[in-house]
Amino acid sequence: METKNMAEEIIETDVLVIGGGPAGLMAAINAGEQGANVVLVDKANTQRSGSGATGNDHFRAYIPEFHGSDMDPIVKEIAQSQAGWTRPMSFVRTWMEKSFEIVKMWDSWGIPMKYNGKWEFAGHTFPGRPFTALKYSGKDQKPILTKEAKKRGVKIINRVAAFELISDGRIHGAVGVHARDDKIYTFLARAVILSTGGCVRLYPGPTPGWMFNRADSPHTTGDGRAMAYRAGAELINMEMPMRWAGPKYFARCGKATWVGVLRDPNDKPVGPFVTKPDRLYGDPISDSYKEVFEDYTKTGKGPVYMDCRGISEEDYEYMIHWMKHEGLHSIVNHLKEERIDLKKNPVEFMTYEMTTRGGVYFNENGETSMEGLYAAGDEYFGGISAASTFGWIAGGNAASFIAGKSAPDAGAGKAGATAVKSLVEEIRNRKNGASWQEFNVALQQVMYDYAGIPRSDTLLKAGFSHLLKVKQKAYKEMRANNQHELIHCLEVFNLLSVAEIIFAAVSERKETREKFTRIDYPYKNPVFNDKILICKKGDNGPVTEWRELKG
Amino acid sequence: MPPIINEEKCTRCGICVDLCPQDVFFGSEEKKTPQIAYPEECWHCNACVLDCPALGAIRLRTPIPMLLCHR
Repeated sequence: METKNMAEEIIETDVLVIGGGPAGLMAAINAGEQGANVVLVDKANTQRSGSGATGNDHFRAYIPEFHGSDMDPIVKEIAQSQAGWTRPMSFVRTWMEKSFEIVKMWDSWGIPMKYNGKWEFAGHTFPGRPFTALKYSGKDQKPILTKEAKKRGVKIINRVAAFELISDGRIHGAVGVHARDDKIYTFLARAVILSTGGCVRLYPGPTPGWMFNRADSPHTTGDGRAMAYRAGAELINMEMPMRWAGPKYFARCGKATWVGVLRDPNDKPVGPFVTKPDRLYGDPISDSYKEVFEDYTKTGKGPVYMDCRGISEEDYEYMIHWMKHEGLHSIVNHLKEERIDLKKNPVEFMTYEMTTRGGVYFNENGETSMEGLYAAGDEYFGGISAASTFGWIAGGNAASFIAGKSAPDAGAGKAGATAVKSLVEEIRNRKNGASWQEFNVALQQVMYDYAGIPRSDTLLKAGFSHLLKVKQKAYKEMRANNQHELIHCLEVFNLLSVAEIIFAAVSERKETREKFTRIDYPYKNPVFNDKILICKKGDNGPVTEWRELKG
Repeated sequence: MPPIINEEKCTRCGICVDLCPQDVFFGSEEKKTPQIAYPEECWHCNACVLDCPALGAIRLRTPIPMLLCHR
């Protein structure tokens, strides 16, 4: 086998954006508009990358023409249903204040934010509560945002996975690896914005033998969280679990786009909110109780079906229309091919696997704990609207930040690139070893068995020790036949970093609260009220710290 | 396994290769029918079908483990 040597390229810019979803593209657009030189790097292609690849149809927003002049009820509803107690009210307020501006911007760029000429709110809503989810036609959101970024001079570099941040307390850029060619990139930048999305492939999915069957894009592997952690930035509430639910076994988000009633096998609704298909609400029981499907199955009462029987022809067309904007094209095609008629056939739903709800700590200015490092979007869960709003804010603030800042340290860049180069060349040139799949599967089983549903001190200790063994072996034995496999190897390193943080944070939260459970501490500990759990890199692995939630 | 390309209809424009988020077409060569190197990594986002300029040149097949359960 020939020896692989990576070619190198150095690219200098003002602002580097890592990840080209709604958050990253909006950040790049605003930073470009402020006159900054912007490079956006995406490990796929910004036209169709990430979980919003082929669309979304819900956008949390406060629209004065729809809601009236009082924003407070909407802020309160968002705080209660979305941000929970993990975000200060100032964050939610900024989000809602800005949301209408973003909505108008998107609409003017050609992402239709109105339906039949009106603001349409439906889904993700409980009868009697305020509507917060604006329906929008997001099928082409990514190509449109890409076009807008290019118009503002943003240089988009596709198929490059950023892998390490360059920092010495201050940020100097990042090192990336090409997903197709044998090439390493050093990006020198005065400010960096992380926007790489969520953390998929951390726990086993619905089909363990089919790793890419996932509700969210399996290409989003916590890269931003891992990079931030390894560079010394703070992460927040990584112990908090998040689970989605949707059709069984075709894993896909977007349950609020379905217009039906969730019923047990005897046709009894499993929730109290709707008794017949209603396009305004869908069935919001699965918003507040995503585990309902798993719990019904475990207790022998399942399965639970999404039952659209009784839907009007008009509402059926409405549902299918929105499915095509929510990125459910393949589900719509599959229904047609298998002759599954939602007007007649209830479809089984399931609770999907766990991931972390926590992520990179960033405030309402998009600032992380590290000077010059910004983050937005699902670096810390928020959804499309939060992603685009805080992406926009982070981009604007990064562009202001760079004024008067000295050039990034090329020496630090060189050192960073050398380290990544030697790691990836080792992986590519290793003749014997194990594939990325072996390590990803090993990681998933540790997460499921030791940091999954039953969480306790003894399990966490045993699991963490095994995880470290897997990690050690990964650095010594993982091998890749080509750049495609190499990127998966790097993703596994990132997932291993994220896993370590989760173990540390879960061990620290000795209580049971909301969706977070510890079987050895089955009660809420009021000492932790109004506190957030920070995790960062210490000398011997992750260290944690409790902090007051302010604002 | 997904995706499936109809060689007669495919114009070898390379758009699907360019766009696929999972890069299932890794290793494909320009002006040749895309090679499906990593079919098991398809996420069924449907980008290749949506953005293909030649109607019917590409489709996605649902793998058997992903068949919807229904009654």
